[in-house]
Amino acid sequence: MLIVVDPQSGVPVYRQLMDQIRFHIASGLLGPGDELPSTRSLSSELGVNPMTISKAYSFLERDGVVERRPGRPLVVAELAPGEVREEKTEQLREALAPTVTVVRQLGVPRDEALAVFGELLANEEDTREER
Amino acid sequence: MKKLLEFDGVHRAYERGLDVLHGVTFSLDAGEVVGLLGVNGAGKTTLIRIAMGMLAADRGGVRVFGMDPRERAVEVKRRIGYVSEDQILPPFLRVGEVIDIHRNLFPTWDEEMARDLAATFSLSPGARISRLSKGQARRVALVCAAAHRPELLLLDEPAGGLDPAARREFLETSIRLLNEAGTTILFSSHYMQDVERVAERVVMLHDGAVLIDRSLDDLRENHCVALVPESDGVTRERLLGIEGCLGVRERTDALHAVFALGPQRSAAAIASELRVSNANCRQVALEEMFIELVGGQS
Repeated sequence: MLIVVDPQSGVPVYRQLMDQIRFHIASGLLGPGDELPSTRSLSSELGVNPMTISKAYSFLERDGVVERRPGRPLVVAELAPGEVREEKTEQLREALAPTVTVVRQLGVPRDEALAVFGELLANEEDTREER
Repeated sequence: MKKLLEFDGVHRAYERGLDVLHGVTFSLDAGEVVGLLGVNGAGKTTLIRIAMGMLAADRGGVRVFGMDPRERAVEVKRRIGYVSEDQILPPFLRVGEVIDIHRNLFPTWDEEMARDLAATFSLSPGARISRLSKGQARRVALVCAAAHRPELLLLDEPAGGLDPAARREFLETSIRLLNEAGTTILFSSHYMQDVERVAERVVMLHDGAVLIDRSLDDLRENHCVALVPESDGVTRERLLGIEGCLGVRERTDALHAVFALGPQRSAAAIASELRVSNANCRQVALEEMFIELVGGQS
C-alpha cells in the first residue's frame, strides 16, 4: 500500500494515515470493496505502533469510509456518486488551505492569486498533452 | 486498567544535596508504550535502574507488577526485558553461550523466537562477544531481552550509537513484541523520530521532575510553538503569564513560546493579552517541541 509516515511533520501519525487512505479513495487508487492491510502487518511494515493504526482505522470506520465485517479484513466502503465528488472537493480544499495562508502573508491580491493558479493548471495540462 | 509500573514521588540523589530525581510520579498501564525524554543528566537512566531494582529510591515508591523490585528481585526481573546503551556482556563468552545463560534464567523463554531473531540479526553463535561490533553486541542483548516474551520491556537508549538500519531493526523487534505479546514498553531515547513512531505517550523529565506527561497525539494536536516578533510590551514574563503557556525562550528578534493550546487558540490568546497580531503559531514535531521546552536560552 502506498502509505508513508513522516514522523517529523508535526501531524499526528494516525492523521497522516487517515489522510492518505482518504486521498487514495478519492483519487480512485482504492475502490469500494478493496481490502486494507491488517493492523499488524501495516504496523510492522511502517514501523509504527499498532495502536496508532487501530486508531486511524476506527476513525475511518466511524466516518463511514471503511467497513468492518467480523473475522474479515477491513474494506473500503461503497460511496454514492455524489459522495465521491464531495470527497474530492474536500481533499482539494484541505490541500489548498495552506496556500491561502501564503497568499495572505505575501499580500497577493485575490485575482492575481487566482490567475497564478489558472496558469499552473494550464501548464500542467499542456505537459500532459505533450506526453 | 492494571498498572504495570508505578513511580510515586521518587527521589534519588548521588551526593547529599545533589538530587537527580526529586519527586517523579507517573505510571504505565498494561500494553502502553511510553517514551522517556530528557536532556543528558535529566535522570532517565537513574529512573530506569530504579525500576529494574538495580538502584534504590531514597524516598518514594516504585512498584513493578505491583511488587517492590528490590524485595522480589528475581520474580520481577524474570518478567522484564532490559537493554541499555552501556550494558556489558561477558566479553570472553560466545554469542551462543550468552543466549544459553538467558535461556536457563527465564522459564518463559521462547526458543523459536530466539532462533528467529538471531537469524534476522545474522548473529553467529560461535562469535566471541569481545569481537562483536557495538551494533552486533546490542542485537545479542535484544535477543536476550525479547525472547522470554517479557511483560515489560525497559530500554535505556537502546539505539544509542547504532546506525539507522540497526535502529530500525530495534524498532521493528519492539513492535513485533507489542503485536505478539502485548508487551508494555518504557524506553528512553534521543531519537525523536523513533519516539514518534512507536510511543503513544511521552514523559519528559526536566530538573529531576516530570515536565510533560501527555499522549503524543495530544501533544501534537493541542500544543504549539508561537514565534512572537519582538516589539514594545512583549516580554518573556507577560507571555508566561498567559494561561496555557508552558515556557518561553528568547531568540534573536523573537520570543518562542510553547503553549498547551492549539495554534488558533494560542494566536487568539496572544492577540487578546498582548495586543500582538503577528504571532506565528504552528504545530511542530516532537524534536522541536523538546528543544523549545528544555533547550538553553542562547
